Amino acid sequence: MSFSPARCVILACGNTLREDDGVGPWLAQWAAARFHAAPDLRILSRQQWTPELAEDAVRAESVIFIDCSAESAPGELTLAPVAPADGSPGLATHHLDAAQLLSLGSQLYNSLPRTALLFTVGAGSMELREGFSDAVQAALPDACRLLEQTVLQMLG
Amino acid sequence: MSQTITIDPVTRLEGHGKITIQLNGQGGVEDAHFHVTQVRGFERFAQGRPFYEMPSLMARICGICPVSHLIASAKACEAIMSVRIPHTAAQLRRMLNLAQMVQSHALSFFYLASPDLLLGMESDPASRHIFGVVSAKPELGRAGIALRRFGQHIIELLGDKRIHPGWVVPGGVTEPLSPAKRDEILAMIPEAYANVKLALAAYKQIADSFKPEIEVFANFPSLFMGLINEDESVEFTDGTLRLIDAKGNIVDDGITASRFTEVIGEAVEAYSYTKFAYYKPLGYPEGSYRVGPLARLNIAKTMGTPLADKELAEFKQLAEGPVQGSFYYHHARLVDMLYGIEKIEQILSDPLILDTHVRATAGVNRLEGAGQAEAPRGTLMHNYKVDENGLITWANLVIATGQNNNAMNKGVLQAARHYIKDGKFSEGILNRIEAVVRTFDPCLSCSTHAFGQMPLDVTLISADGEIVDRVMR
Repeated sequence: MSFSPARCVILACGNTLREDDGVGPWLAQWAAARFHAAPDLRILSRQQWTPELAEDAVRAESVIFIDCSAESAPGELTLAPVAPADGSPGLATHHLDAAQLLSLGSQLYNSLPRTALLFTVGAGSMELREGFSDAVQAALPDACRLLEQTVLQMLG
Repeated sequence: MSQTITIDPVTRLEGHGKITIQLNGQGGVEDAHFHVTQVRGFERFAQGRPFYEMPSLMARICGICPVSHLIASAKACEAIMSVRIPHTAAQLRRMLNLAQMVQSHALSFFYLASPDLLLGMESDPASRHIFGVVSAKPELGRAGIALRRFGQHIIELLGDKRIHPGWVVPGGVTEPLSPAKRDEILAMIPEAYANVKLALAAYKQIADSFKPEIEVFANFPSLFMGLINEDESVEFTDGTLRLIDAKGNIVDDGITASRFTEVIGEAVEAYSYTKFAYYKPLGYPEGSYRVGPLARLNIAKTMGTPLADKELAEFKQLAEGPVQGSFYYHHARLVDMLYGIEKIEQILSDPLILDTHVRATAGVNRLEGAGQAEAPRGTLMHNYKVDENGLITWANLVIATGQNNNAMNKGVLQAARHYIKDGKFSEGILNRIEAVVRTFDPCLSCSTHAFGQMPLDVTLISADGEIVDRVMR
């Protein structure tokens, strides 16, 4: 089986049982419903980003990583370019961040996407429960609009 | 003055454990232990749940080999239901279990073990990991990642989820295989063959350079146990268990899941939360045995597939009788993977593989049931008791890591005694002692992972509490 790259890839990360940590998978699900007929878009949602995703990330024309952020203010949306990480990610083979995935994929497959963006939503709470904090819940409509615009740009 | 060396946590394992090495007054190794420091409570909190929930509940134990738990659990439930599942369901489950074995072995060999094997036991610990392997041997890095994806993708195609698929249920599976999915799996097989052959060639090229490690990495006579078919071919999902001794003589045979607890006991040691399985007629610890890839290859007379059979014949040339060195778990793991790919291809050519009769139904017809399967790391057994309403009143799980526990501890002691002299040790020596445990690929609790990077901090403390030496990475 030869790998078939997608033009645009959404790579979401998070755990829906850890409150706002689940915002990545939630947005991925939303995007899957919104763009269900788009053949050029591949949406992958995982609890952790692992090395097996590197090929999807670097062989696409564009990749949008979606995650929550513990550093941003609760509900704050950030969309920024992400570049391959310098140096080695160390011993963590079960989870990588977006920059590490790009770095690994670049080494393995000698390829990088033309556009790589990291879209984060600031987390207010990551307790052991489903659903979102008030701040993230309030940010979801804007998050969906921003994701929609970004995907349309990538596919345009 | 006695001293203790602690390796905490042991790195590149599934789950968290530590090693302690006690030195005597002369700086020699007095004793050594591998401690599993996590607590598992699954047997307890399953009580009161309906038996048909058990496969899904029990699969949550592990994020790497949930399929084996699903299968052993479903089989235990089917014993309670007193049903025999349809042929197609059995074949589909077998394929799912093999796909999981391939992805789990790929993780073990390429991600966890290959940094030692390909970069060297003494290589810079800062780059002794999968990303170091990718830099040094990108073709093997690609092969490892592709094999893991191969297994994961089959699991996803069959069960809709890569981890914890709900497709395996008491009585069979929830959905039959579609022609499109069959064809998609078949299309992946040529690349999988190429990748595992590349790994086998790379391993054989470097194996001889590890002769010193092979000598002292849990290399001792022991019993071995694993599933086998009536034609003495290796089996992962059905069949019965065979136990052989260090010379290859059959000690016990035809052990069904319902007989498992008659012949296998579990001992407890104060230093570990993992129990120590043993063969009851020989007692503990004399009845300790090994399971997993090495045991499977030592027990089987044939793999039942042509390419893996060639590899098995070569493997059996490594020793007269069973291969005792645990370093060869790595080799056996690669043969397992080759077998898994071949067997998946064979299963897909079964004329009944697309049959839609894939589930038997029944209620409670017995108040106790047991099921067994081969997980990637070795034999796994689930045993449940229920009340008349089908609610679990008691559960016991015997996992592969517990069955290898005594051998891992003996192996750590063997290597520590060989390498540590006069109380002196280096990072490379400690890595070798960790690598003994890695040969077994123990899964201490795959359902929980470390947050952030796992450090290695080894401190040598004198009997009066003074820090004598420290190695950190």
